[in-house]
Amino acid sequence: MSDYLNENPDVIDVDELPSRKEDSNELFENFGSKEAIERKKLLLKIDHSPKSQVLHDIELLDKLLLLNNTPDLISDTESLPSENDSDTNEFQIRGSEDSNITDEYADEPADPVDVQEIYDLTAHICDPEHPLTLGQLSIVNMPDIEVHDDGNPNHLAQIVIRITPTITHCSLATLIGLGIRVRLERALPPRFRITILVKKGTHNSEQQVNKQLNDKERVAAACENEQLLGVVSKMLQTCK
Amino acid sequence: MSITLAKGIKLQNDKTWSLDYKCTPFSNLLAVASTDRKIKILNIKPNGTKLEDVLDGTVHRKAVRSVAWRPNTDINTATLAAGSFDSTVSIWTKEIVGNDQEMDDESMDEEGIEMDLLAIIEGHENEVKCVAWSFDGNLLATCSRDKSVWIWETDEMGEEYECVSVLQEHSQDVKHVVWHPSRSLLASSSYDDTIRLWKEYDDDWECVAVLTGHEGTVWSSDFEGSNTDQLQEDEIRLVSVSDDSTARVWKYVEEDEENDGQQVWICQSILPKVHANQVYSVSWSPISGRIATSGSDGTLVIYQESERGSGTFEVVAQKELCHGVYEVNIVKWIDVEGKEMIATGGDDGYVNLWNINE
Repeated sequence: MSDYLNENPDVIDVDELPSRKEDSNELFENFGSKEAIERKKLLLKIDHSPKSQVLHDIELLDKLLLLNNTPDLISDTESLPSENDSDTNEFQIRGSEDSNITDEYADEPADPVDVQEIYDLTAHICDPEHPLTLGQLSIVNMPDIEVHDDGNPNHLAQIVIRITPTITHCSLATLIGLGIRVRLERALPPRFRITILVKKGTHNSEQQVNKQLNDKERVAAACENEQLLGVVSKMLQTCK
Repeated sequence: MSITLAKGIKLQNDKTWSLDYKCTPFSNLLAVASTDRKIKILNIKPNGTKLEDVLDGTVHRKAVRSVAWRPNTDINTATLAAGSFDSTVSIWTKEIVGNDQEMDDESMDEEGIEMDLLAIIEGHENEVKCVAWSFDGNLLATCSRDKSVWIWETDEMGEEYECVSVLQEHSQDVKHVVWHPSRSLLASSSYDDTIRLWKEYDDDWECVAVLTGHEGTVWSSDFEGSNTDQLQEDEIRLVSVSDDSTARVWKYVEEDEENDGQQVWICQSILPKVHANQVYSVSWSPISGRIATSGSDGTLVIYQESERGSGTFEVVAQKELCHGVYEVNIVKWIDVEGKEMIATGGDDGYVNLWNINE
């Protein structure tokens, strides 16, 4: 693509994008045995930096070891009735107890999603015309993300994201919004209702773009359009 | 009044988009459309629900968005229209009983109901959003993102479809079409925030009224009907639901004296606000006169009019999260052997059947 709509966008360096403050305890949460954690603590004492090369190597090793214990994957389709079963009438049926509908998540602890998580999910999406991320181009910004979530998997939660297109007549605003929606719908649990808006005053056809981005039927149809889905998939890969 | 789950049936992992219900002498058929392209036919009985048939999933290349049973057919025939995002409409049929020998219930149960593809209708430029049959079963209306409504005329068998009119007055996607249950009157709901009413006039179909007031996409609408003939000759009402989270009741007033062929309609009332987000579906029961709505917030709401025709509605029952935390795309009153129930379809791939307890 030689003729960009916006030849000279302002670009933020990747390292300067907002990220969660590193908490050394978090380094120990994810994997490894007690022994490994002790080893890491020792190494951190020697070289007190999360960027320590030795530490990274050990983490990699732990990850590799974990790969050997792959959990069993259960396909969603196995929970569906097969056509052969239909005679026996035993396809998946909920009882007459109302509570059953929400029971499937009952055991999970509350884990609210915060603004940083939404930022991390969306800021690294690749812009459709520049080899840069939406975060680098300041299309997605932390202060323009609202999250209302109590972490209860049985309660509805709301997310509102206001995007800032690079130029006011940017024809790709709809595509960027679609990319963000597809990313969030795939990554977040079903309790989230996602609203994507163009930030007030940043686009000439604000209302049209907003309406289209929040029409579930149009989004569903777009996701069945191979060509469009191809472009979106490219955006969702990392920018390299 | 309370709403309790009678049965929840998981039919697919994708969105349940649409369902339609038809009673025949031997079975109560519920057709279900979904993103997985395979239309399912359920038989709803008071003592059990059975999956009768899964239609060929290769006929449509994209999601099936809408299904509608043809009314007024021979009692032994069930004919279904299905509209898809692949821009086509398919017609399916089944002779429920072939001859007298098969009339007994037993053979019915053994054979189940297998539907055959009868026709494919092409014409729309892109996604078909809704299909609807006129009350006499002679006309089929289809609508699409291409901003048009097409009216098709068909024969007794339902094999041939001739387009009798293409209505192009909506300025945006047409989301939904519905026919009046006893008149040749069609209502179309659109992304342009309006509802248009259409009537046959001088051998063509003309827009006779535009209903404005909703502040967002109008997702669906339903006419008031009556199985007990309580309605007066000129009493026509329509309920509509929208992205603006409201439901509105519209009332026909009179023929417009100044504009030939035009009708005057008013917004009689806005139903008490319950929904927090988009309302996707509405159903007006011809039996109880109650209205049911549901949508993005997953709440199923039932409204009742204090006195029929008064326009004063109150919420008499509501059920939150009726498909868990998923959105509800369709709600429909169904009559299961004399008992009025509600069927809903959600993004969780379930069809839920609800008892209404007085």
